[in-house]
Amino acid sequence: MKKMIVLIMMIGLWSTPSLAAGTQYNLRVDGLSCPFCAYGIEKKLKRSKGVETVKIDLEKGMVVVQVKEGISFTKAHFKKLVDDAGFTLKSMTEAAP
Amino acid sequence: MKKIMACGVLFVASFQLAAAPVTFNTALPVSKGEGVVRVQAKYLSATDDPGPMNRDLTVKALPVVGVWGVSPRWSLFAIVPLLDKSLKLDTPSGRMKRSVDGLGDVTTLVRYTAYRNDQPGRTFRIAPFAGIEMPTGKDDEQDAFGRLPGALQLGSGAWNPLLGVVMTNQSLKQEWGASASIKLNNEANRFERGDEARLDLSWHRRIWMGGAAGGLPHFMYAGLEGNAIWQGRHRNNGQADPNSGGTTFFLAPTLQYITIHNVIEVAIQLPVIQNLNGSALQQDFIVTLSLRRNI
Repeated sequence: MKKMIVLIMMIGLWSTPSLAAGTQYNLRVDGLSCPFCAYGIEKKLKRSKGVETVKIDLEKGMVVVQVKEGISFTKAHFKKLVDDAGFTLKSMTEAAP
Repeated sequence: MKKIMACGVLFVASFQLAAAPVTFNTALPVSKGEGVVRVQAKYLSATDDPGPMNRDLTVKALPVVGVWGVSPRWSLFAIVPLLDKSLKLDTPSGRMKRSVDGLGDVTTLVRYTAYRNDQPGRTFRIAPFAGIEMPTGKDDEQDAFGRLPGALQLGSGAWNPLLGVVMTNQSLKQEWGASASIKLNNEANRFERGDEARLDLSWHRRIWMGGAAGGLPHFMYAGLEGNAIWQGRHRNNGQADPNSGGTTFFLAPTLQYITIHNVIEVAIQLPVIQNLNGSALQQDFIVTLSLRRNI
């Protein structure tokens, strides 16, 4: 019985990250043209409370922001951060968990 | 001694900022509230003496450039140069060496991004800038032979304003830039360096990309930069020095390795045209090694 309880707990722990995944924001950012310049935008986004990861695809001009469960951001929030970094936010889509 | 040299001032006064070209400024953005530091090591050799003194000039410089993003459009720059100048020349009493080292004139300037056109994977920007070179370097250095000539001093002793505009067009595969600027030099201790005007052009092309897995890629750029520099004659005690000033055009092959945090770069400026006044000393080359880091 003990073994069964431990197994159930382990399965529960194992599945926690996928259950707790938050929203993913896909930002189309224009003006990103070199890795050195992209640092500013990564730094600004990572400073937002609740942001887990920031991935930048220079070729596509896409910035993918993964946030913690229960956290949400508005387009205006991202627009300000991208603008402060010196770039242009063209569009934003979000993928719910 | 007045006609010691016309060069040696030009390359430390050219404010290579936190930017894409190695030998001049850029219009690329600096994030609001973020900074970039650039440390350069420069070596200038000038041994082609058209006069009888067989002059050899070497200038080693370590300009440290700090950039701060005040807003998405405004950036502040500070250029702090450490200099080591050495001049050897023949005199009636034998070969003489005169040298000096220390802090040069610090330059501060502001840059405003007046125009910005962002597209996917590319940007085009135009940014005027203005600043002032401050008299932080000593301009009354002496050695065993007396007071050093004005052009060999660490500083000009004067407040010298500068003004210019830079444009940059950068895509993922290539980049070009152009800049035009002037610096008006003022008189101090009865010596006035000639005013300077310069036109700079650059073209860089990505030749390698790597390290993309799980993060931003690293780029390697090869490039060619051109610097057309005009300097007026120096003035000693109100008299124009006929052996100073003139026009120089440098061509500089460059190589840059770019990551998200750092840029490591090298450039060799070769003077393909030197149309200098009188017996002004001609330059051989300028080598620049540089590291930029996001902070």
